[in-house]
Amino acid sequence: MSDLATPQEAIRPGTAPGEDIALEFRGTADFDTSEMTLSIGPAHPATHGVLRIVMDMDGERVVDARPVIGYMHRGFEKLAEHRDYRQIMALTNRHDWLSGFNNELGVAVTLEKILQMEVPDRAQWIRMLMAEWGRILNHLMFVGSYAIELGAITPMFYAFREREDIQHLMESATGGRLHFTYNQPGGVKIDLPKGFLRQSDELLKLVRSRLPDYFDLVLGNEIFQARTVGIGPLDPALALRYGVTGPTLQACGIAEDSRVTEPYLKYGEIDVEVPVGRNGDAFDRFYVLLHRIRASLDMIEQIHDAMPSGPVNVKLPKMVKAPEGHVYGRIENPLGQLGYYLQSSGSKTPWRFKMRTPSFSNVQVLPHLLRGTLVPDMVAVLGSVFFVVGDVDR
Amino acid sequence: MDATALDQYLHERVGDAIISTRDQFDTFTVEVHPDRLVEVATLCRDDRGLACNMFDSSFGVDEGEDGFAVVVVLYSTTQFHRILLRVMVPGGREAPVAPSLTSVYEGANWMERETWDMFGIEFDGHPGLAPRILTVENFEGWPLRKDFFLASREAKPWPGLKEPAELDEDGNVIDKVPGPGGAPGPTDLDEAMAAQARAANPGSVLAAGPEDTVAEAAADDDTAAADDDTAAAGEES
Repeated sequence: MSDLATPQEAIRPGTAPGEDIALEFRGTADFDTSEMTLSIGPAHPATHGVLRIVMDMDGERVVDARPVIGYMHRGFEKLAEHRDYRQIMALTNRHDWLSGFNNELGVAVTLEKILQMEVPDRAQWIRMLMAEWGRILNHLMFVGSYAIELGAITPMFYAFREREDIQHLMESATGGRLHFTYNQPGGVKIDLPKGFLRQSDELLKLVRSRLPDYFDLVLGNEIFQARTVGIGPLDPALALRYGVTGPTLQACGIAEDSRVTEPYLKYGEIDVEVPVGRNGDAFDRFYVLLHRIRASLDMIEQIHDAMPSGPVNVKLPKMVKAPEGHVYGRIENPLGQLGYYLQSSGSKTPWRFKMRTPSFSNVQVLPHLLRGTLVPDMVAVLGSVFFVVGDVDR
Repeated sequence: MDATALDQYLHERVGDAIISTRDQFDTFTVEVHPDRLVEVATLCRDDRGLACNMFDSSFGVDEGEDGFAVVVVLYSTTQFHRILLRVMVPGGREAPVAPSLTSVYEGANWMERETWDMFGIEFDGHPGLAPRILTVENFEGWPLRKDFFLASREAKPWPGLKEPAELDEDGNVIDKVPGPGGAPGPTDLDEAMAAQARAANPGSVLAAGPEDTVAEAAADDDTAAADDDTAAAGEES
């Protein structure tokens, strides 16, 4: 791993570090500029889907920005009130389509909390293994797409090479490549296939050996640093009042991670490293994202060593009914903290099922990041606040 | 702080604003007087012991005839506790108005817009609830209210709502073999749809008369129900 891969001062292209170019403005300073309103999206490559951003522009500078969401609203919370709990797991696989496994895990954890169900050890370790592979799948996607937005196409090919291998591995156990539906209340559907851990271990070594490529190719790239260092900084206290979580919050220097602060499954028994940034800018957000991949690989190694034998699920009645009451369950999703509020009236469908998704809060804070930036920086900021539009609109 | 300590701590400071507290399923909930919500939330944010610096979410719940509740989830990244503040919204089902928390936590802005969009709960002190945040601008009705029906499910019940098998006290499956004539008859909706189809296609077989078609439909239902049961039995074994 190169020395460049740490948060530091921007290196201007063509100069040695520490030797800044003094830019002198020679034109007349009193251009007559009038404000205009520019609508980015809803179908713009920089918005990763159908998100619209209405920006008040003064020349190239963004004066104000208002994200407009709702283009992909599918009424998940209403649909959930009409489905039983197994079906809800299949449903939640789909709101953040890049982290299907973690979403369904959130439902399982919430449901087991209200059912006060004991989950077999092996099932919990298998869930952790899959959740960490799922996290890497998600992060690799953003590594590739963010680089593409900044004009580098190659990292996408690198990322998809790894994604393909990981999806192949997860498919061998779950049968799915994006929507796994591998969890069920009280465990996972079936045990891992024979030789899975060996394959997983080989893949771990492979991905780990290729990881320095990303650090050198993207983080160490001078153009990447010039585009991202100091762009779109986020104040930690403001981020918290907005409910921003995940890599975007950790980049501000706050090591808030549900796996550490409120351990679920068996995360309390392994070392969970939470990488943090310093300045909360676009560079740090990406830096945290890459280091989270490395941290997840370290966790997978520990999970391999600790994997116990035993049953992977419990015998369930034909229909799972949650007792009357309400519960708030929360897990660390790849993009931030995912919360499920489940209020049950004792029947087989929930009375109220609220999905608190990380992307919703992360997108809400965008105006603070965009004010005062230039149009090309807007692309750098949008890509660095990692979100999935389906997760915003639900 | 754990739930008992939190309970005591809150009661010492704003005891008169608290209606009740509940700690169930690892979820600590405080029921608060609606007109004191902003005060309690501000205390949660600023008090050094509570230190709820993170606004997690806020959302509505339909409580049937009692009207609506609004739940606010706060979290402390330094003390590692979570508090759910819950208020019953004044105004019943007709004109629900809840206090807005946008002056305390900026993140409440979109959360309250979503609650208004989904339940029609107004927020006093909010900078602007309209336009509708998730649904389309000219959408009519409040989708997450229980009296707003999911149209497709009204026409055809979701198969998942059907009970695959009922269990007795010992957990054994109660076999239900439909006897002759035991299949459910046509529902009101079936009749209505048949009438509509007849009106739309005068002169077709459907127009021959309700009795024949209904009898056929009932016969179809019978076999379908039998098929379902065998499928369920197959799953069971």
